[in-house]
Amino acid sequence: MIEQKFKCPNCGEIASFSGNPGEQMMASCASCGAKGRLTMPMHTQPNGYAIEVSHLKKVYGDLIAVDDISFAVKTGEVFAFLGPNGAGKTTTVEMIESIRQPTAGSITLLGDDIKTGFNGIKERIGILPQEFHSFERLTVKETLLYFSKLYKKRADVDEIIKALDLTAQKNMLYRNLSGGLKQRVGVAISLVNDPDIIFLDEPTTGLDPKARREVWGVIADLRKKGKTVFLTTHYMEEAEFLADHIAVIFKGKIIAEGSLEDLIRRYGKSSVLHIKNCKNSAEVVKMLQEEGFEEATTEGNGDIAIKIDHKERVLEILSHLRHDCIDYDSIDIRRSNLEEVFLRLTGSKLMEEAP
Amino acid sequence: MNFQIIGMDFICSVKGWFRSKGGMFWSLAFPVILILLFGAIFSGVGSSKYTLYVQDKDHTTMSQQFVGILLKTGVLDIKNLSADVNITAYIKEKNIKSVLVIPHGTSNQINQSFIDPTAKVNLTFYFDPSEQTQTQVIRTIIASVIQQLNKDLTSRRDVIGLTDISTITENFNFIDFFLPGMIGFTIMQGAIYGSIERNTKYRKDGILRKLLTTPITRTEWILAKMLFMMFLAGITTALITIIGILVFSMTVNITPLVIIILVATSFLFSGMGMLIGRFVKEEETADTAAGAISFPMMFLAGTFFPLEQMPAFLQTIAHLLPLYYVNEGLRNAMIYMNQSEALINGAVVIIFAAVFFFAGVLLTKWKED
Repeated sequence: MIEQKFKCPNCGEIASFSGNPGEQMMASCASCGAKGRLTMPMHTQPNGYAIEVSHLKKVYGDLIAVDDISFAVKTGEVFAFLGPNGAGKTTTVEMIESIRQPTAGSITLLGDDIKTGFNGIKERIGILPQEFHSFERLTVKETLLYFSKLYKKRADVDEIIKALDLTAQKNMLYRNLSGGLKQRVGVAISLVNDPDIIFLDEPTTGLDPKARREVWGVIADLRKKGKTVFLTTHYMEEAEFLADHIAVIFKGKIIAEGSLEDLIRRYGKSSVLHIKNCKNSAEVVKMLQEEGFEEATTEGNGDIAIKIDHKERVLEILSHLRHDCIDYDSIDIRRSNLEEVFLRLTGSKLMEEAP
Repeated sequence: MNFQIIGMDFICSVKGWFRSKGGMFWSLAFPVILILLFGAIFSGVGSSKYTLYVQDKDHTTMSQQFVGILLKTGVLDIKNLSADVNITAYIKEKNIKSVLVIPHGTSNQINQSFIDPTAKVNLTFYFDPSEQTQTQVIRTIIASVIQQLNKDLTSRRDVIGLTDISTITENFNFIDFFLPGMIGFTIMQGAIYGSIERNTKYRKDGILRKLLTTPITRTEWILAKMLFMMFLAGITTALITIIGILVFSMTVNITPLVIIILVATSFLFSGMGMLIGRFVKEEETADTAAGAISFPMMFLAGTFFPLEQMPAFLQTIAHLLPLYYVNEGLRNAMIYMNQSEALINGAVVIIFAAVFFFAGVLLTKWKED
């Protein structure tokens, strides 16, 4: 049993609830009576971190694959390790999973040093290796039962099949599944021991957009269940969609770390508001510039782009458009994204290296 | 050691094998094709020079002349045995295929025949019937020389006769020699190829990395795979034996010792395959690596041809190869019923199996560099 404090989303009252790690329960606020579903966190370490990596280094001959990196993953969060191919993502995650031997540094999983306590940790972690293909001629259910029986602690295989929407395919041979379903089975395999931490190494590489979305749905559900997920990816949108916390790795070094909002605020550009198919666009631009939106520009076809520094400015623009009865088709706001953050980060990095 | 995990892995391997119709067909068809093909081809083939051991108990000019005539045929490689050697024991001990014994008093009897028409002498030809081709050629040569001598000496009266003594009580032919070799070879082939291919495929597919992060130990996993190889060995042995009995009318004895040798053999070559697989990184090179090990061993270990037909240095190499002891052990236990020899061969196979199993456990690795 663990105890956890929750804040009522209705009145802000903070109250303590007890339950088993990962347990979901209905609770009502003692102050305002609002009812809601709570999910107890998984095993919480005293310091709140499921994974702690300190000064980790991996050297192959002259190549420094991972260069003295340190980071920590909080219990119950989805942590995305984002970087291009060859940046050192898989080397790092495989050192954490004890598949590769670090050249230097220390790794702690669930409070235990993996150098001495990895055999005990095995029961509490689930892993989907990169480019994983399971046994070709076992069915989905047989595959899950196979891996499940390797552990002392076992989740209900039928429940996993149901949760990952594999019921229709449970008696199909693994080799006959589509790429997306194979990856979903891979994720399912990593859950057979009801792990506290799940490592997913590039779980959507090579999948079509639909299959990728399916896998994202599965990972999002894991987060809802309070599992700690360590995800490596080179897809920006994957990290944007799933991660609570992102570490950007480039050439073996972590060059930025934080939540999506943090990274965009620190390294992104301002948002841009687009007015589509605006009549008399040149006059409207002139009017907006006179109102203090100096960076308003026409983009041809009657479209107008205006750089937005603060979200309040959007309301001001809309107010002007309404007041002057300006005719337009639609407006949208394009926020700066991780792609831009990454380009800016690696671009500046490359510039620093230039002579 | 978790036997539940070992049993479960074994059952999954068997399921996978049954579901791979192509794989199952070829792993069964391969030994069948080979035994039918080789059985048909090699039954009629002989070699150009044959070794004949001669024990000249008469030791007279006449007997020496007789040996000289045999030598002059150019087909026989004559090796002399001293008169005091116990032939039956010597043949068994040295695994000799053909011996001609010229009895004491041969020249006396021949000289006597000029005055006594009933005088007669019998030379004795000891032969290994499993070497059908070889011994038939040698016997024909000896018989021709004797026939010619009889003609020259006494105008076709058979003064010199030839008595045949089989060194094994039953009659054997080439297929008897070939079948146990075929069983040993098929088990070796399946276990080495299977282990190397599985190892490289599982490494490529991330299964080894996955297993490394689960509680299964390498010992449990290797044992489970060896158990599966044993299952395949049982099936192929049964198949080859049935063909031997039905097609070639063989008499095959399946004794507990045969079973023990088969079990040890499948363990031995699974371990060897795992060791080789440890160093084969790419799936594409797995076949080449397996072939590079198994094919030379197949030819050198007396699978298809008797060792005696090979040069001495190759025979020495053969004695270092585990497949040689498998072949000899199975031949002695299944066909020749020479249980004491089979026991020795079986013991060597068990030692090899233990060495390769422990080497497999200790030296294979799932970790990446």
